[in-house]
Amino acid sequence: MTRELVMAITRVEALHLSQMTQQFLDLLEATTDAASDEAVARLVPDGYSDDDDAAREFRRLTERELLERRHVDAQAVLEILRPTLPDQPIAPDDASLTEEVVVHASADDVGALLRTLSAIRLVLATRLGIQSEDDHDSTDPRFGIYDWLGYRLDSLIAAIESDSPPTAP
Amino acid sequence: MGMMNTATLPRADEDLELRGAPETPWQTVVWNDPVNLMSYVTHVFRTYFGFSAERAESLMLAVHHDGHAVVAEGAREQMELHVHAMHDYGLTATVRRAPQ
Repeated sequence: MTRELVMAITRVEALHLSQMTQQFLDLLEATTDAASDEAVARLVPDGYSDDDDAAREFRRLTERELLERRHVDAQAVLEILRPTLPDQPIAPDDASLTEEVVVHASADDVGALLRTLSAIRLVLATRLGIQSEDDHDSTDPRFGIYDWLGYRLDSLIAAIESDSPPTAP
Repeated sequence: MGMMNTATLPRADEDLELRGAPETPWQTVVWNDPVNLMSYVTHVFRTYFGFSAERAESLMLAVHHDGHAVVAEGAREQMELHVHAMHDYGLTATVRRAPQ
């Protein structure tokens, strides 16, 4: 049901998104053992909660593929953002940063974008120590980034859903 | 919100329904977490399982309010594929044997 999507955001948002996605990729590449980093471990949860042997076997079969998928998704996100980025480093107060840019995403790219935004939020939430929905510190700028990612993810989904034909119950 | 999904509550005659089944069914359980957005969870249920908007939202609310929901039931291998897919979307999900 997901079709291609055209998303208008400011250049500075595209830049931040691209930088965050690159940091996410760096984290994945630097982490050879997912269990050694709780944020990466969150991306590969247990498949069984009541059977350690089955959980271990499930992990053996799925963990590597899941992490590879995060990698492939993140690369796709970098690709769709690349045309919107400035050619050379620009000052943080450069007027072009507030210009609107248009991100074109194919149906496959949309899935990669949603999963990557979601995965980066999971990583951030682990770093921020979010244990419940009430954990929020508005004085911490990292929560601002976390909230902004949530806002972007939410508006992307709204755009996709409004594009879908109605389905029978 | 305060909406409850009562459709998945166990029924008193469940044993009768299962009698004669070739094997004990397994379940895909999705667990609540404080990070994934409600809209995202609903979208995943629609996209992956092909549920209607109503069913997807009802299951999402069950996850949100009850802490978890059974989103599929069947053969173990199929449930493992579903759980793998849920993990791919960043949701917390597990396989379990259907309670007797």
